[in-house]
Amino acid sequence: MSTLNAALNASASALNAERTRIEVAVSNLANAESTRGADGKPYRRRDVVLAADHSFEKALGEAGAIGVKVAAIVEDNEPFQRRHDPSHPDADAEGFVAMPNVNTPEEMVNMLSASRAYQANLTAIGLIRELVQKALELGK
Amino acid sequence: MSTITDGAIMAALGRQLTKAVAQQAVAAGNLANIDTPGYRAREASFGDVLDGEIGKLALTTTSSNQIASPLPGVSGGTKEVDGLQSRRDGNNVELDRELLTMNKASSDFAAAGAALAAKFRLIRFAINEGR
Repeated sequence: MSTLNAALNASASALNAERTRIEVAVSNLANAESTRGADGKPYRRRDVVLAADHSFEKALGEAGAIGVKVAAIVEDNEPFQRRHDPSHPDADAEGFVAMPNVNTPEEMVNMLSASRAYQANLTAIGLIRELVQKALELGK
Repeated sequence: MSTITDGAIMAALGRQLTKAVAQQAVAAGNLANIDTPGYRAREASFGDVLDGEIGKLALTTTSSNQIASPLPGVSGGTKEVDGLQSRRDGNNVELDRELLTMNKASSDFAAAGAALAAKFRLIRFAINEGR
């Protein structure tokens, strides 16, 4: 039973990680036009770094589930896009505005892939629950 | 007389349950890491263990009154899956393959569970003197 618990925990950790990816993609999309952040500069798009989490495995010997964790949320160092808009309050002397380095299609792809992975892990949780259910019916 | 005892069969069915659980857990781990860069898909491996156990399959008893000892439990590790195509980030987890593994493990578990339940029913039948 403990192995199934570990499998459930691993799947749950994946749900958490994929949710974080969706959250970050959403905040990137929301700030696609934010030209003034806390530091006065335009918003930089952020990316989630995932890493395998072996702490689940150690608890139960060799054949265990490996979870996943959010190792870091890093900022994208790509240069800002420059848009010609002289009437914008943040425009420079030449009339250009530095816009966030957010690429809408890229964020949409990230969000879709995260949501598919979320679904896959939900399916996995369903299958594990099925197994537990069957184990409970053994004595009948 | 050498017969395969109920105990041995039930132990074998129990090991099948354990095997299905291990496969399920490893596949869940793979699915959890479907987006982790550099992660390599793993599978539960029982082959080496089986090779070792096959030699012990012939249960030796010195007297017909002895009950043959059940086989030792399933123990196995995991190994990397060969022959999968890696994505550009070095990850080679395939969603359909893992879901297939989980579904297969689930039905293996159900099959062994049904057989075990049938065994339990027989024992209950014997305990109740055929009633």
